[in-house]
Amino acid sequence: MNDNDLQRELVSLPIKYLHRFAKGRIHRHFRLGKRRLIDSILALPSDQKLAIAHDLEQLSSIPKKRATESSTAPRQTPLHPRPSSPKKPHPHKPTSPPIGLQDLLEGIGVPEPKPFVPDDWQRKAVEAIAHSDVIVSAPTGSGKTFVATEAIQQAMATNQTVIYTSPLKALSNTKYMEFSQYFGADQVGILTGDRRDNAQAPLLIMTTEILRNILYDATSGDLDLRLHTLGLVILDESQYLADPERGVVWEETLILCPTQTRLLLLSASIGNPQELAEWLISIRPTTSCHLIQHTKRSVPLRGLYLHPTGQLVPLLDSRDIQQQRKGYRFHPETKRLFSEYEFKPYH
Amino acid sequence: MPPAIHPIDLVDILRRHRLTPVIIFLTSRRGCDEAIDTFLHTSSGVSASRSEEIRAFLEQFAKDFPSIANHPLIPVVQDYGVAAHHAGHLPSWKIAIEELMRQGLLDAVFATTTLAAGVDFPARTVVVSQSSVRKSQDFTDLTVSEIQQLAGRGGRRGKDFVGFVVVTPSPYIDLHVLGKGLTGQPESIDSQFVVSYPMVLNLLKAHSLDQIEGLLAKSFAQFQLNQRAAIHQNRLDELHEQLQPYGPRECADWVAQWKVFDLARRRKAHRRPAINTDSPYLTACLPFLTPGRLIGLPKGPAIILRHYRSRGMGIPMLSVLHAKGTLGECQAQRVAQIYDQVYEFQPIRSLPWCSPSTLNQFKNVLSQLPARLPILPILENTREPDDSLLSEILTDEFACPTCPSHAACKKDFSVASGLQLKAQQVTKTIQALRDGLWHQFQQKAAVLHKFGYLTARLELTDEGEWARLIRINHSLLITELIRMDAFSGMAPELLAGVMASIAHDDDRPSSYMRLTPGLASMLVQVRQVADALSAYEPAPLLRSDVAAIAERWIGQTQHGWSSLVRSTSMAEGDVYRLLARTLEFLSQVYGLKVTHSGLADAAHQAMVNMRREVLAELP
Repeated sequence: MNDNDLQRELVSLPIKYLHRFAKGRIHRHFRLGKRRLIDSILALPSDQKLAIAHDLEQLSSIPKKRATESSTAPRQTPLHPRPSSPKKPHPHKPTSPPIGLQDLLEGIGVPEPKPFVPDDWQRKAVEAIAHSDVIVSAPTGSGKTFVATEAIQQAMATNQTVIYTSPLKALSNTKYMEFSQYFGADQVGILTGDRRDNAQAPLLIMTTEILRNILYDATSGDLDLRLHTLGLVILDESQYLADPERGVVWEETLILCPTQTRLLLLSASIGNPQELAEWLISIRPTTSCHLIQHTKRSVPLRGLYLHPTGQLVPLLDSRDIQQQRKGYRFHPETKRLFSEYEFKPYH
Repeated sequence: MPPAIHPIDLVDILRRHRLTPVIIFLTSRRGCDEAIDTFLHTSSGVSASRSEEIRAFLEQFAKDFPSIANHPLIPVVQDYGVAAHHAGHLPSWKIAIEELMRQGLLDAVFATTTLAAGVDFPARTVVVSQSSVRKSQDFTDLTVSEIQQLAGRGGRRGKDFVGFVVVTPSPYIDLHVLGKGLTGQPESIDSQFVVSYPMVLNLLKAHSLDQIEGLLAKSFAQFQLNQRAAIHQNRLDELHEQLQPYGPRECADWVAQWKVFDLARRRKAHRRPAINTDSPYLTACLPFLTPGRLIGLPKGPAIILRHYRSRGMGIPMLSVLHAKGTLGECQAQRVAQIYDQVYEFQPIRSLPWCSPSTLNQFKNVLSQLPARLPILPILENTREPDDSLLSEILTDEFACPTCPSHAACKKDFSVASGLQLKAQQVTKTIQALRDGLWHQFQQKAAVLHKFGYLTARLELTDEGEWARLIRINHSLLITELIRMDAFSGMAPELLAGVMASIAHDDDRPSSYMRLTPGLASMLVQVRQVADALSAYEPAPLLRSDVAAIAERWIGQTQHGWSSLVRSTSMAEGDVYRLLARTLEFLSQVYGLKVTHSGLADAAHQAMVNMRREVLAELP
């Protein structure tokens, strides 16, 4: 088999077979696209190419063998899938031609300012926090802060102290300014390692480490904060529980939290909020725990692909980006342009 | 790697399609700064009115935060409506940019992915040009959660009907990582619980051991470990079910019984000892098969030149000179006769095994041998070797040979013992999963007892009472240093310098600061202590350059922030973070004011000196 034959054969194969041939022969083959892969294979020394040609023949002889076997053992599953067999129609395969750029860019604009109407899940979360712990798992920018402010208002109305913790000092500062504007400067205090600004205020903002330290001091007797009036603890960015270095602080805080205090955990989308909720129920048997999971974005998100030449095309073959279990498909135009880019880097 | 498209083109195209304001995520801080620099020489500015609005905002903002008043990037932000936002900037600058973005005054912000962690500032469009991030030394693919954090900034609630994610390629980008990240399920989170020294001290202060065991059992870590243990428990139950038919027979533990019997029967010990496989006769012969001995082989007489054991099997071997005059090798057990005749010679260690003259002499001897030679009598040791297992069999210890279930045991043994072994393994795993955290706690408690923070009955000593207030990383190092009086009478700036070098755990390239001799010698001491403690607590980086920065800021209060930043190659934001973190450590030391008033005073003085200019702006 000469190079031309080999190239023709390789071109006709799906890329996964090319990766199989390249394994152990080409360094970082998994980073290469089809055309570069074929080029690299053709650039291999001749004995390697011979071995690949041999593999190729074996591969192409399988369908024939299957044809002869099929009469005797029709139900036997083949060891290798037939490379040339047409793929099953993809569940997402559009029957209509793929959507165009105009569809995608439609509807850009600023909505009329209208009174804020909370979403269902936000209302549910606010209702639930009045009598139980709540875990909110929702994507970025979907309005978790609204739940927090409503919960704070509820608690402050009954003269309870509220502690709001965030993982980063930068976030604490932003929230301090935000809440000071919303509730009034005298209602909000902030605690850091060395500073206590307005520590007698009903709403205190701090990092989770500081809260953990307060809880330790409280359990060991040298109480210096009004823990008995502490009605609500809000842990923002609770997904930090999984942070390799600092995650343990969140666990300590949750374990040591007084039982009469309600917890509001605000977290970005995570895979196992259910597990987190089960855990909270198991360690705080006196309070129930509501899980509010919201996966849909309040503003739909669309994907675009910008080629280095300045061409703008849709990224996926659906209009909005949504979470889907069945996989995704790139827009054919994106695929074509990207393979071009991969093959010939644009400089 | 920067994206393949030029930043100006990128912003232009997005402006044309009404896709601004936009956040453009890049891999490096340098990439962000360079992208901003490219705008300096273009005409693609924003309108004069917008420029004026930005100017007015920044002026207003600088009243609260004077540190940004003369920021070098202000002209670019005003004229072009673009900004950079990354950890190298001061927090006040970042807040200003975030606020400008929220008011819709900026078109584009070039940011590093660190922004994705929590700061709430959305845009209409997000540009992603990478599929991997640098973590410590290596590039790793972005996780689904991370990509969704990035993409989540696209689309402002109440300000946009739709948001956009724009993917633009850069070298090494993998489109499928992004495709999966945008549409996939975010990862599950797993507990990262570890028992730390301050945790042990603080728990022991307030709780009894039983309560602590209960508290540890309440952790998410234990919750998840229990779930894994439950899976193993199911497997164990299955195994026990499979073991059902192999229950007690004539003897209760027939599997173990049979195992011992079987081993004994095969004359095999439990663990195979180094067995001498030489037969008794050969063993008796060996002392006589010495170099120079005349022997009889099946082929004829020969003289032994050398005696050795073969490499593989360890069989005794001989190198001999045959009667024909040839050299050869043969196994010792093939020796037919051993004659009572030894020729003395000087053996050598390479091939002919003797000098050439000796070889000739031996050849002569062999050619002139008499017909009959005296044979050496070999007395074989007939006593049986001691074999405890064999003797056990002989003393009717095993009922197995006559047992009625002999046949069944023999048949089932291999299956049953395999199942039992697996069951034992699974039981061990379950044990480890259930008790892991408690063991961790006990280990740490043992270390603390060793250093004298805890009594043998795990009560806090006087040392432990104050040591529990140090609740930061490297707490053991800090408390040990305090106990050795390493800080006594130390100047505030030196204390701050040492704390900075302990606190700073970033390994970004060094920043070339001059060290004062006092600080240098102090750091050498700290390094020695840290190395001595490294078995119990990983040592901090102890960078001397960051120590020098902190020392300068605390010690030379006449110098301002800009002079400090100019004296180092570290980015402004990094210096700020270093000092803020040092402040946190110092405030922990200040917490010891009851027991260590001198040290606490120094820490307090350092904190007061620290809190000026930029560091006084934010709480």
